[in-house]
Amino acid sequence: MNHVITIAKREITSLFYSPIAYVVLALFALGSSLIFFNAFAPSMPASMQATFQGLVWLMILLLPGISMRLISDEFDSGTIELLMTSPLTDTQLVLGKWLGAMGFFLTLLIPTLVLVGVIEAFGDPDYGPLLTGYIGLLLVGGFYLAIGTFASAISRNQIISYMLTVFTICLFTFVIFLLSRASFIPLKLQQAMQFMFVNGHFEDFGKGILDLSRVVYFVSSTAFFLFLAVKLVESKRWR
Amino acid sequence: MIHVENLVKWYGPTRAVYNISFDVPEGQIVGFLGPNGAGKSTTIRMLTGYLPPTSGAASIDGMDVTKESEKARRQIGYLPESTPLYMEMRVEEFLHFRGKLMDMPRGDRVKAIDYVSDRCGLQQIRKRVIGQLSKGNRQRVGIAQALLHDPKVLILDEPTSGLDPVQIGAVRQLIQELKGKHTILLSSHILPEVEKTADRVIIIAGGQIKADGSPSELRQRVGQGASVLVQVKASSESVQKAFAGVEGVEAVEVHQQGEWVKAVVKPKPGSELRERLGQTILTNGWAIREMRNETASLEQFFIQITADQSQVAEESVA
Repeated sequence: MNHVITIAKREITSLFYSPIAYVVLALFALGSSLIFFNAFAPSMPASMQATFQGLVWLMILLLPGISMRLISDEFDSGTIELLMTSPLTDTQLVLGKWLGAMGFFLTLLIPTLVLVGVIEAFGDPDYGPLLTGYIGLLLVGGFYLAIGTFASAISRNQIISYMLTVFTICLFTFVIFLLSRASFIPLKLQQAMQFMFVNGHFEDFGKGILDLSRVVYFVSSTAFFLFLAVKLVESKRWR
Repeated sequence: MIHVENLVKWYGPTRAVYNISFDVPEGQIVGFLGPNGAGKSTTIRMLTGYLPPTSGAASIDGMDVTKESEKARRQIGYLPESTPLYMEMRVEEFLHFRGKLMDMPRGDRVKAIDYVSDRCGLQQIRKRVIGQLSKGNRQRVGIAQALLHDPKVLILDEPTSGLDPVQIGAVRQLIQELKGKHTILLSSHILPEVEKTADRVIIIAGGQIKADGSPSELRQRVGQGASVLVQVKASSESVQKAFAGVEGVEAVEVHQQGEWVKAVVKPKPGSELRERLGQTILTNGWAIREMRNETASLEQFFIQITADQSQVAEESVA
């Protein structure tokens, strides 16, 4: 566990040294404010439900920017050799990398607290849905970053790993969103697809409902992609 | 301390290392010498647990590098070939990071970082960002991180590549100073490098061990059959004729250089020619300006082995 934290800490620090992190930080703050003020008007409910929904879409493009360098960078610079010859397991490496990215994602969410302040100033918000909304965002972010960690272990090229992450996330969002409405898809398959739909699972969190099955969906799919990432790193040893 | 048995590595259809076996006793400095692409780094990477061998086994201090990989890795301080470091980190920060990965408690880390900073001359640059350091200083940081946890075995892959002569001298001296405290395996493709620091040289080419012994042993092996070089004032025909008649001479080669003749006399195995050649020169009354045993250097031996590598590589494909 200590090793995981060591790796995670180094990852966060190095993220703050990379220009891409600041671009992501700026775009996330800008994007979240735009989405927020789009729905911010007199007589509208004092909630962030619309903002949260919008952020889940925005994160598709921005979070892969954080995760794309996680493991690919180590292979590119050769530092992976230092890590893999240390008494460090591949699981510790992957978990540490993911946790580091999660730490940076938390930083991304901090500016959005200003928006909570705005609602507080102009209305009387219900803090329950706000809290579950943030929990939901963390779960979605964890899932996207797990996909990103996996993709960053595939190629030492950061652009490829970015594109691959966006593509994979789209399978769970856009593609399912569109296909599950297409008439040529059988109803059973549509329902199965609905179950994979990230935004569908997130909806409840925005409304203030903390449904365990939704949590399980995110935790298990995050674990699945982290597991794939570990296997991928292990397999690199055999090449 | 290091035990390697029939190590083999194939990268797909390419054979990188074939049947390498050697043992390194505790405290020895071993130079791993070979041309680029000989399989040095591959062998080292298998020893450090970075690459699994295709077949064969290796162990560090009795711990198998594949079966007890993590334990074995703890015994090793390793400087990879290209000195990979995190460019955005400060030297001290990086050393702390390495120490944490080696499970050193904070107190030990601080002491060890002080020690290796002294040893590797990092005191002045401890707070500097690694990306802004010169190649030589980065190399020092690389060696410092390898030394940090006081490993039993120190494996340095090309520790002096890309350094200037002064820096090479400094690294060489550092390695000398570490002698006795660690078992050291260092690789190089430059012979004098290894010849000066190592107790023992293993020459590897085409993925196989070509020679193994102390530098002086190897030199002796090369020295046998060294020819004698003589320069006398005479005609080349007479020199050729006179030297060919001397007992123990295998072959004579003469070159006319103005009024001097340079003769390279190759002895039969085991014969010492200089005395008899001198006698011959005296008898003929020639003026002489040079006579010496042309000691074949390790360099020549190495070049000879290296030249064979391409041939070996072709065999491996066939």
